Amino acid sequence: MSYPEVLGELGSRALMLGNVAVARACLEHGVGFASGYPGTPSSEIIEALAYASSRLGYPHVEWSVNEKVAFEAAYGSAMAGVPSVVTMKHVGLNVAADPLFSSAYTGVEASFLIVSADDPGMWSSQNEQDNRWYGVHAYIPVFEPAGAQEAREDTLEALRFSESVKHPVILRLTTRVSHTRAPVTLGALAKPRLSGDFIKNVSRWNIVPMHARRLREELLSKWEKMGETLSENPVNTVEGPEDSKVLVVGVGLGYRYARESLHKLGALGGVRLLKIVTSIPLPRKLLVRESEGRSIIVVVEEGDPVLETLLKSTLYEEGVNVKVYGKASGHLKWSGELKADSVTLALASILGLNYRPEAPIKLSITPPPRPPVLCPGCPYRSVFYALRRAVKMLKVEAIYSGDIGCYSLGLNPPFNVQDTLIEMGGSIGLANGLAHVVKDKVVVATIGDSTFFHAGLPGVVNSIYNRAPMVILVLDNGTTAMTGHQPHPGSGRDALGREARRLTIEDVVRGLGVSRVSVADSFDTREVEAKISEAIRDVMYRGETHVVIARGACILDAMRMASSLKVKRPIYVVESDKCRACGICYRAFNCPAITPGEDGRVAINASLCTGCGVCEQVCPFKAIRVLEPGDPKWSKILGMEL
Amino acid sequence: MKEGLNIIVAGVGGQGILSLARVLGEAAVLEGLEALVAETHGLSQRGGSVIVHVRIGENIEAPLIPVGEADIMISMEAMETLRSIGYMRRGGVIVSDTLIIPPSIPGVKPLKLEDIVGAIKSAGLEAHFISASEEAKRLGDFRTANIVLLGYAYKVSKIKDLISLHSLMKAVETLPGRDLNLKALTLYATPDANLERARGWV
Repeated sequence: MSYPEVLGELGSRALMLGNVAVARACLEHGVGFASGYPGTPSSEIIEALAYASSRLGYPHVEWSVNEKVAFEAAYGSAMAGVPSVVTMKHVGLNVAADPLFSSAYTGVEASFLIVSADDPGMWSSQNEQDNRWYGVHAYIPVFEPAGAQEAREDTLEALRFSESVKHPVILRLTTRVSHTRAPVTLGALAKPRLSGDFIKNVSRWNIVPMHARRLREELLSKWEKMGETLSENPVNTVEGPEDSKVLVVGVGLGYRYARESLHKLGALGGVRLLKIVTSIPLPRKLLVRESEGRSIIVVVEEGDPVLETLLKSTLYEEGVNVKVYGKASGHLKWSGELKADSVTLALASILGLNYRPEAPIKLSITPPPRPPVLCPGCPYRSVFYALRRAVKMLKVEAIYSGDIGCYSLGLNPPFNVQDTLIEMGGSIGLANGLAHVVKDKVVVATIGDSTFFHAGLPGVVNSIYNRAPMVILVLDNGTTAMTGHQPHPGSGRDALGREARRLTIEDVVRGLGVSRVSVADSFDTREVEAKISEAIRDVMYRGETHVVIARGACILDAMRMASSLKVKRPIYVVESDKCRACGICYRAFNCPAITPGEDGRVAINASLCTGCGVCEQVCPFKAIRVLEPGDPKWSKILGMEL
Repeated sequence: MKEGLNIIVAGVGGQGILSLARVLGEAAVLEGLEALVAETHGLSQRGGSVIVHVRIGENIEAPLIPVGEADIMISMEAMETLRSIGYMRRGGVIVSDTLIIPPSIPGVKPLKLEDIVGAIKSAGLEAHFISASEEAKRLGDFRTANIVLLGYAYKVSKIKDLISLHSLMKAVETLPGRDLNLKALTLYATPDANLERARGWV
């Protein structure tokens, strides 16, 4: 991906994603080390920093193998006095939670920014957790920008604050901050601190109980002081009449929704409006000062009612008697992302204002649902087709323990090969339990290559050590496809696109103690079927874990490579007189590039067909054939040999 | 106080919806205007429904367009036009491709174009259904359909009151396939453009 805007000139105004504005702020602060693991909606921060680094020669930028390692790497760098940033999606912070808590005890020697991109509305996530709770739980301040311009300014302020208190800070983004483009006015790039030194200090960096007890006391007093300092931080702003009976508190992006709604209701300028960026620790003094003398407080925030809850308890302690409205009070919807419509309605009802929006246009017909699907030519389609066939031919029953990636789409018909889908690495993890207690079924754990390196490895070791026989089907397409094709340890290149040592999955699993390992070409659906059948037999009759690696390029990567190398892809056609309208190619194989006509006979949509050639293998009547052969290099690209 | 322009850009993941929306945002910045382009990334980009919210002008704060407040919809697929209809303001303008991409769900039948057009027209909306994909193919590459739609929408909507053709062209120049895109844009967006060229259902 290309991010020229991240290196824009001082004073220029550029349209950029909130995530890119965060990356820009890191460069303006002089961050020397950045790490992360891809995850929507966070991924563009590291991508933009990698783009900058490949041109400037600094800072150090890496895609780490998972969020825990990414966190620890940035933490270690900050211990040595180098300003550091780590990025991840909200659920990634669960993976990194162990060092997160410790980092508050030890503090750091330079800025340490932890970017958590939360996903209210679950656009691309398994849950809607609000990571501000981690700030409360781990004693780490949280900053929440309200948009792209603020993402630049507040990231800079968060980095400065972290440096000044030598304490980690969480930057909490949400989908609509991360993935909304807006004009951002740029500041000056700074020369980063790229190297530091580790100063030994046993009583600080070794949190054994003896030292941790002291550090805990120090942390609590530091926490109180940070709350006082942040209460006076000018990133939190206030507008509107001081003597208004109403206070609206907009937190992060919530401020934008609150402001737009007040404008629409004609109440902007008539009520007090407080914008909170530093939500954790609660800027207590500021909030108490602004609450006194009011009769109504409305809190608008993305996610859980975090500030609302903390504010209520603070006002109770301070003896300030005022009614607080928000999500916990039932006036704003707790689940899902904020929407202008519902914020306006809620504010109108709380403030007793007359507001009747026109009913939205409703038509007599509605379109059928259009869930995301595997791309035409996706290697996973061929593998899932083979998996279904192998299980059917062997007349066994299988439990499909699934995982997180594009292959999660295998949960949909016609494949139905993701019976569980819980978290990163959960496919092999759950299979370790299922294999012991479900005796008459074979457990097939399906996991992608990036996810395998992320959290799959310990589960494999456990399966061998504790004798939990399972088929582990690793889908190796050489990339982290769903989040936008970031490289991983099996890709052979690093975050900056430089060549890197390529770890092959077969070597890794053999090293972990798996003796039954096979590799198949994903685009050869018969080979995949044969290898999966053998693996199932191994597991059922020998009780041994068997790893099948299905290798084949992500078709989007393959198409890009073919077009840049000017490699001609083959063109396939259907011989209509041979087609018997059986539906295997579009129902069971489910290729979106194949569509049936009125009589059920099919045609290939040339603008969607990628030339993967698997339909030719699945057609039982040899009705699909090559019209124009492709360059021999095309199969090398598909096989990831180029 | 002048209000901003709300534009919904809709279609199927992979059609070039994000590029179309970004061009509108870039052009607005070139005009010195405020702009917000709220994109959908991740899972839905894999052939699912995609909606991008574009807001241009003054007094825009939040990234999402409220239901019933879109002034313009530019859609690259007819069923997706129907799906986003609730965002439209009464009196809004729709520019949609006549293209229908059947969802890849076994057994699910796509709607018929004439039914979609009929339902939308019955609601009293100004709807322009044009065969943008066909026109793009004629011009040389089906991937330029997004710019055909953008050019047409520019001509028939209030976008031209806020953004000069010069800025729009400069923004389009940043996309890959520069020459073809500029050709597609000038065919429709210039003052003397012949809109009939791409009309399917009008």
